[in-house]
Amino acid sequence: MKLRHRLRIGALVNSGAADVAPHAEAAGYDLVAVTGPDAWTTLSWIAGRTTGIRLLAVGLAVPEFDPAVLARSAAALDLLSGGRLELALTGEPDVLTEAIEIIRGLHDTARPGPLRHPGPRFRIPGAQRGPAPAHHIPIAVTGPGPLPLADGWFAGTPAELRAAPDLPGEKRRAVVVPLDSGLGDLLEAVIEHGADTLLVPISDPADLGRFAAGELREAVARLLPHPLPVVAKPASVRSKRRPGIEYDAIPGSLAELAVEPGDPGYQRVRSTYMRGGAPGLVLRPRTVAEVADALAFARAHPHLPFGVRSRGHGISGRSTNDGGLVVSVAALDGIEILDESRRLVRIGPGARWMDVAQRLAPHGWAITSGDYGGVGVGGLATAGGIGWLARKHGLTIDRLVAAEMVLADGGRVRASHRENPDLFWAVRGAGGNFGVVTAFEFEADEVGNVGFAQLAVGADDPAELLVHWGRAIEEAPRDLSGQLIMGPARRGQPRIAQLAAVVESDDPQTIVGRLQPVAAVGPLYDQNVVLTPYAGIMANASPAGHDGHGEPVSRSALVDHLTPEFAKAAARLMDSGAAHWFQIRTVGGAVADVPADATAYAHRSANFSVAVMGADERRLDTAWSELRDHFDGLYLSFETGRGARVLDAAFPPATLARLRELKRRYDPGNLFRDNFNIEPGGTR
Amino acid sequence: MTDYGHDLLFGVFVTPTAEPVRQAVDAAVAADRAGLDLVTFQDHPYVTRLADTWTLMSYVAARTERIRISGNVLSLPMRPPAVLARSHAALDRLTGGRIEMGLGAGAFWDGIEGMGQRRLTPGQAVDALDEAIQVIREVWDADAPGGIRFDGEYYRVAGAKRGPAPAHDMSIWVGAYKPRMLRLIGRAADGVLPSLSYLPGGIEGYTEINRHIDGAAVEAGREPAAVRRLLNIDGTFAPAGTGFLKGPPEQWAEDLAGVALEHGVSAFILATDDPAVIATYAGEVAPAARELVAAERDRT
Repeated sequence: MKLRHRLRIGALVNSGAADVAPHAEAAGYDLVAVTGPDAWTTLSWIAGRTTGIRLLAVGLAVPEFDPAVLARSAAALDLLSGGRLELALTGEPDVLTEAIEIIRGLHDTARPGPLRHPGPRFRIPGAQRGPAPAHHIPIAVTGPGPLPLADGWFAGTPAELRAAPDLPGEKRRAVVVPLDSGLGDLLEAVIEHGADTLLVPISDPADLGRFAAGELREAVARLLPHPLPVVAKPASVRSKRRPGIEYDAIPGSLAELAVEPGDPGYQRVRSTYMRGGAPGLVLRPRTVAEVADALAFARAHPHLPFGVRSRGHGISGRSTNDGGLVVSVAALDGIEILDESRRLVRIGPGARWMDVAQRLAPHGWAITSGDYGGVGVGGLATAGGIGWLARKHGLTIDRLVAAEMVLADGGRVRASHRENPDLFWAVRGAGGNFGVVTAFEFEADEVGNVGFAQLAVGADDPAELLVHWGRAIEEAPRDLSGQLIMGPARRGQPRIAQLAAVVESDDPQTIVGRLQPVAAVGPLYDQNVVLTPYAGIMANASPAGHDGHGEPVSRSALVDHLTPEFAKAAARLMDSGAAHWFQIRTVGGAVADVPADATAYAHRSANFSVAVMGADERRLDTAWSELRDHFDGLYLSFETGRGARVLDAAFPPATLARLRELKRRYDPGNLFRDNFNIEPGGTR
Repeated sequence: MTDYGHDLLFGVFVTPTAEPVRQAVDAAVAADRAGLDLVTFQDHPYVTRLADTWTLMSYVAARTERIRISGNVLSLPMRPPAVLARSHAALDRLTGGRIEMGLGAGAFWDGIEGMGQRRLTPGQAVDALDEAIQVIREVWDADAPGGIRFDGEYYRVAGAKRGPAPAHDMSIWVGAYKPRMLRLIGRAADGVLPSLSYLPGGIEGYTEINRHIDGAAVEAGREPAAVRRLLNIDGTFAPAGTGFLKGPPEQWAEDLAGVALEHGVSAFILATDDPAVIATYAGEVAPAARELVAAERDRT
């Protein structure tokens, strides 16, 4: 028994017969392989006419295809098709060796510097790496091609397969078999010779049903002691696997895009923006059904850490771990206008807020979010969302009208004021405990150009500055929102506070008028005021992957007023050196219009959200505890603490009791435990 | 006043952003649904934030119904002419004749050389493009006897099979500004595709373009009208007009009709990725500009 991968059956079509592909997909074929002189064009076309079937370009001849151009083309098609592409190359072994090195090198965006290739056949003096494909594109070779570099081997006929070289188990074997092959011949190819991918020449959709696919799959299943993995990984990858994970049981829908520690793409997904991580497996569902599959896999691993990641900016939501599972919903990143007249927008959890802002700007709309464009929609819109338009338009969750979720048991529900209202209440402030939101529906606000100011003011007396700034904010109309950032004093330098403010107006006089009281809180060292669409403020994130290190320590508090007592205590905290980052964002205004019991986010009376970060948790807590008397709750998204203490601070007793009851109903097994976990069995 | 009498085409120039790649697809689908005539994409395979243009065009072709698709313009040094000819023909057959060929002699030679291709001087690049057009037309001439034999300085073909022919009489549009290239277009291509922002002296620079092309066409025994005049444009919609293509849709229509009648430009390709701008351009500017030009042509 040589079979090592789950059996796949594909339709092999000539580039003239592209119309077969959607039929093959409908008939349950696993892949469509295209051959012929225009295979690439045809396969790209087919990608646009199919949704799930895998796409194999057969017989791309090198050097006729330039490997550097092929690398770019392959990345584009893999991105366009959501990670469905595979290649089968032909050519002289030496030439193919170079070609595969060039393709892999250009796709490896984690490596620094441009790709250089010295030849002899291809000379690349220095080409930028990228774009990276959506997944590791399997490359098969024909004949005596460079097997050690390839992911598989391609035989044009069963006879060729019988004479196959000895292949390590992780290499796939594909073979072209005649349409009218008998079951005995097919079983011989699969069982005796280990062919895991059978390609059947199809020129007419009517032929699709003539191949004995069903009988073959049944016969193979009967002969196998246990299911085979969709992708068999080489020993070098398997050796880096973490204990307790059933890697070979990853559902077929997820296996191709799953990333484990030995995989080439692991560096790009292991860590988050602020946190270093080493998860044992990252699953990347592309559809709601795949999210349910991923959760089923997570349920089968209750002993492991498990996080859900939208774009990896979570502070309270870890979304990475050591040796556990991560489900990344970055691929669910659609942004769709549902109803122009109601400004109704449907957004996937993996979209970034800068993309949302960009998409809505032409309509003259915006949804208030956070202050950083790289943050994903999912994490922010299930926690709160304190952003640049908060005082005028409230929290991000206040713009939410419905959420579609996959629950812990895999069930799919819609939550809104009318449907599952309890869940809709919970998802707005404690959503990370209740499921994976697969689509949000927001009502956007009409937001034209805004004034965006960045000011540097002297802070010789930080306490006095805080009091003045707090008063200026509270006295300002709601069209002004903003933030203040201060660091520890540095010897020999004047102390500076960085102020930022957004004035929702396109009238320069109004903007200047609103900013004056804020700018007057201290001597002005530097200022920059621009008139910009909201999308212009949010376009501030780099597209690169995250490479966070270590573990952040962050504390959050909500505060009603910046009283002189609070301000003095805050100044002492800054002087202590325990915090290297001190930030206050404005809330209040429209945030406080919503009744405290309307959403799980309950501490609505506060005018300010304070966040501090430090290196030493114990030292930070000692200094932070001096301010405790001034707090009225906390905002969980800026808090790294866990346990009963922070839960009690984040949620008033009645809110927490209701959340606990709902947790027992919706997630009794505590599957969602990574972000401000409300344990179903807890009592307080 | 110059007018070659072509029907007017309105199109968009969409950024083929690699991530998220769906952005470009969405813009193309929006242009198709809005009823625009053309969606086009730049081609810089050495720029890694862009997705491969040909692959994107093929995918977009499958996701759209009516709109014509072309490169704007494809980088010849990165793409061998025989492959260009065959792949365009194949996609034209898949789409029932919706593909046109936009070609450029190559820009950004550092990037091209970095990817392992030969650096050419501007003069050599014109010669290479001249040869490429001949090779492309040979490939498309599927019914001619024998294989293709072409022994050029830059491209050699020894007996390759002809075909496939495109599904329709495919145009070759060339991005160009300088006299030698323009004369090549007048002699051998079907259209010229410059960008307004690169035209020396702004839109008045088109007079020179027409002069070179018309002269070369006549010299080669062709009608100047055999060469379509296209133009990439930028603009912003605003309630009040402040300049050329800066104002309300009615003003845009007047601006473009003026260029059509004055310089004979018959295809206006707007650089935008924005579905709302695409909708306004297709729904308000294009019909109004067509009406203005038709009225003026009827009058004269």
